[in-house]
Amino acid sequence: MSGPPEDRMSELRSLFFESAGELVERLNDEAMQLEKAPGDQETARSLRRTVHTLKGDSAACGFRELSELAHDFEDVLTLENKDLDSAVPPIALKAADVFAGLLQAYRNGTKLPSIQSLRADIARLAHPHSTSTKATRKKAGKVSAKKMQWTEYEQLALARAAAENKRIHHVLVQIDPQCAMPIAGRQMIQLALAELGELLAIYPADGSHQPATQIEAAIASDKSAEAIKVKCSIPTISSDVKVKILRVESAASSVAQEPVAANTGLQDSVSAASHPDSPINRGGTLASDDSADEKAPPTEESGALQGAHLADKLLRVDAERIDSVLNLVGELILAKSMLQQALIEFGQRFPKDALRGKFSDAMAFQGRVLNDLQHSVMKIRMVPVDQLFRRFPRIVRDMAIHCGKEVALSVKGGQTDLDKSILDSIAEPLTHLVRNAIGHGLETSEERVRAGKAPQGNLRLAAYHQGNQVVIEISDDGRGIQVEKVRQRAVSQGLVKAEELDRLTEAETLELILRPGFSTADEVTELSGRGVGLDIVQSVLTRLKGTVEIETVAGRGTTFRLRLPLTLAIIRALMFRVDDRLFALPLNAVAEIARTAESEIHQVEHYDVLQLRDDVLPLLRLGSKLPAGPDTARRKLFVLVIHSGERKFGVIVDALEGEDELVIKALDDQSVKTDLISGASILGDGRVVLILNMIALMERFTRGRAANAGSQMSGLLSSTIHPNVNNGGSRAGEQLKHAAGGQL
Amino acid sequence: MKKTVRVLVVDDSALMRKLIPRILEQDRSVEVVGTAIDGHFALKKIEDLKPHVVTLDLEMPGMNGIDTLKAIMRQQHKLPVIVVSSHSTTGANITLKALGLGAFDFVAKPTNVSAHMPEIAAELIRKIHAAAQSSGMQAQFLPQEAKPGHHTSLRPIAPTHIVAIGVSTGGPNALQYLFSQLPGEFSGSILVAQHMPDGFTELFAKRLDEVCPIRVKEAQSGDLLVAGRALICPGNRHMKVMKLPLGNVALLSDEAPVNGHRPSVDVMFRSVAEVFGPQAMGLLMTGMGEDGAVGLGEIRSAGGFTLAQSQQTCVVYGMPKAAIERGYAMRVADLQDMPNILQAQCASERSRAENTELRRGTGAGSNQS
Repeated sequence: MSGPPEDRMSELRSLFFESAGELVERLNDEAMQLEKAPGDQETARSLRRTVHTLKGDSAACGFRELSELAHDFEDVLTLENKDLDSAVPPIALKAADVFAGLLQAYRNGTKLPSIQSLRADIARLAHPHSTSTKATRKKAGKVSAKKMQWTEYEQLALARAAAENKRIHHVLVQIDPQCAMPIAGRQMIQLALAELGELLAIYPADGSHQPATQIEAAIASDKSAEAIKVKCSIPTISSDVKVKILRVESAASSVAQEPVAANTGLQDSVSAASHPDSPINRGGTLASDDSADEKAPPTEESGALQGAHLADKLLRVDAERIDSVLNLVGELILAKSMLQQALIEFGQRFPKDALRGKFSDAMAFQGRVLNDLQHSVMKIRMVPVDQLFRRFPRIVRDMAIHCGKEVALSVKGGQTDLDKSILDSIAEPLTHLVRNAIGHGLETSEERVRAGKAPQGNLRLAAYHQGNQVVIEISDDGRGIQVEKVRQRAVSQGLVKAEELDRLTEAETLELILRPGFSTADEVTELSGRGVGLDIVQSVLTRLKGTVEIETVAGRGTTFRLRLPLTLAIIRALMFRVDDRLFALPLNAVAEIARTAESEIHQVEHYDVLQLRDDVLPLLRLGSKLPAGPDTARRKLFVLVIHSGERKFGVIVDALEGEDELVIKALDDQSVKTDLISGASILGDGRVVLILNMIALMERFTRGRAANAGSQMSGLLSSTIHPNVNNGGSRAGEQLKHAAGGQL
Repeated sequence: MKKTVRVLVVDDSALMRKLIPRILEQDRSVEVVGTAIDGHFALKKIEDLKPHVVTLDLEMPGMNGIDTLKAIMRQQHKLPVIVVSSHSTTGANITLKALGLGAFDFVAKPTNVSAHMPEIAAELIRKIHAAAQSSGMQAQFLPQEAKPGHHTSLRPIAPTHIVAIGVSTGGPNALQYLFSQLPGEFSGSILVAQHMPDGFTELFAKRLDEVCPIRVKEAQSGDLLVAGRALICPGNRHMKVMKLPLGNVALLSDEAPVNGHRPSVDVMFRSVAEVFGPQAMGLLMTGMGEDGAVGLGEIRSAGGFTLAQSQQTCVVYGMPKAAIERGYAMRVADLQDMPNILQAQCASERSRAENTELRRGTGAGSNQS
């Protein structure tokens, strides 16, 4: 709680944006709930409360437009008008959008979006029949609050004059908008009026400094209306003068008898005041309508406790702070590896020393605690997928309406935890897939009925853990993807050559739709059912070291399955050597490790392949191929069998080094100029290990095959990585170590 | 050095739970010991943390502010509660309800903090200190709810006296008690300067009007001063009085705040003293600060009657104390005795008042009385 006030303000600001974002999301949810159950009091109240909090928060931070809009909206919601039940949800949804837009503009300091349309909607909601709801009065009050009200005293004077049978004129003088001295001008008009007779009432009052466009007055005078008009028409000051005889009889008597009661009525008849003629009969109508429908608002709010209680235990922490803790944990893990290494060396040097056992006990204990610590820290970064999923009901609703389709959304596994940064990254691809499923995957109700399905299409979002991964599925029961069309299109667009196609499995063919440049033409998307810019899905997933799988059954539907790592920061990896250099792959990508020898590897159409049980496994050679010879043929090799999506291939490595938990450190571009390496880590003994980017590897592999250049695949890494990167002495090596954050 | 005041902040807005402690940080003798998201948590934390003062938002999910307040008031040690009220009709309504239930005072929800931090902080901190020092009196004179207003149909009867009342913290309840005990045919005309923000006074007047035999109205310029009616000065305006040929009227003005207040009790008292002299009565009731003390002296020296509320019945014994210490109060009385004193004062001098200009000057009204 220290630091200069500006810092605190900016901290408050960021807290505001965070909680306001949540409030807008809540508003969205509540609006949709209300749409399903119009008139549900509980939901309506909690919606109002959400708007209320948003209003208060934004007012506190000085975001006037937002707080005023929310204020108006809250006022309307307070009316609890039964007739409005069905009108509220769409406007609440619109409000959520506009609020979100405002928030973004505030945050980025950009131009505020237009709020007129929402404001008009709210105003319509406030007075659907234009009569005297509270909001009307309020609005009217803002514009023309005291536009024209004779004061009690003036009413008394009018009544008196009427009782004395004086002729009373109502005079309305428009002030020339060009008038250079409006206040002095007003005085001149007032003087003129006073000369004409007895000035009974005038508005604005004498001495008032509020700007006015007109003067309204009542005078008792024997002069003719025409004479009064002439007298009040002062060039450059008054632009128009209207004079009428004021019938005060009815007004007078009521005023005379009950000036006070009459006046309470005044406040409530502002709407009447907007009628041009009203001042004349006002006196008569005053006492009558006490339409103040100030019904007591609901105060007994026995709202459900909901999850709100949890919130009190929540702590908002800047993600950076957690990251720095995580970094330290990473360092600790390195330190553990170093100790482990030292212990091994110690054991080798003093195999019989009793201290060894003690060390190793301590190490084991430390290892366990460290493991728990790491998991706890990782958990802090985890958020339930629901944070993302909850946006979708709204998106689905809007999209379904847009496309004229009926869509039922079901969501499962919202409680599944996922690293916050990953969750943030997949928001866009996921939205894309959902929109795509509704726009292209699902059929219209008629089509569905023709196909013998229920008229309502189903869209399913699901999340679950599988091993060290989180799987997110988006499935629809629509028409499915027509693989044949995808083939045709891919060829015609030059993504693959015709002869390549035959070699592609169905899964590989389907993945073509994720390629950049895959057609976005309507004709094709309609035929294929898919295809608009899905490459974003692939590119994001690649960045996250995740994969996309597509399953489709014609006429039955499509499922996109996104497989994501739980976290980006630490992986369990399998380490191996290629050409005496140390590499690692995420352990969960490795399905199997096969031992083989060079002689077992065969060449098929420039590819290295391996007969593995009943399968023929295409191979990827990372290192350089040794010149053929009898020794070479007997050379033992390992093949890592990689499962990625529906594809399977082998990676040839020279030797295995074991598995370990690696704290991934990003590398800067100067160290490594290839996307094949996704990061690096430093082992306990100080060695640097490079972590292979499996997706890029596979990409290279597929492309290589497609380009019919399998032979070039061998030695892939030898040519792309700086030769010195592994031997620690060179500048590049230092840089890598530096990038890897070790002080080793 | 003041004793540290322990404060519990109850609000469902995460922002407010951060902001209010920030505001209070500026006073070292105030310590926010905890925050709570709704009433249930608040009650639990009151038990655990033993705060001296609670700031309470009224609109919360779960257990709302009103229920929370009721629960606090049921407890043996009635913690002073400061309501943090939002600027809306609903907000003003339930705020007044909360005051009726025994809330110590209220502040408006902070707006545009970065621009108005000093004022916002000063007000809140001042009220928290006052609350911490309060005697827990607020609960004693809770007005009975809604004695139906059997208004005598109101005729513009000229009053015997002009009763000017100045009041601040604790005012809403005290006024409701006082007005509920005055008969509809009370012969004085009452003017009230209650320190209260803009937007609350209208509802406050309406509410009093509903539950008291006398008429109560938020004042407008040109309102007549008639018997049996109280005019409440609107928030953010000053109120003065003026004699006119057909009757006497209240006038509102927008002059700068006096003693940091608008309405200022001093402004109203001074004007009443000048215009009505011996017909003026000044009544200075519960409230923080010294506003009204000097003005009460002017009423006294103009020949009017002055009365100050006793320490025992004040929620905050500030304004009356300032007047009493200066010797400006002719009498000091408990709240429950005030209705009788006012009536007696008006009645005893009625005959004398009969002949005053005050009555002669009133036009249409005087014919009927």
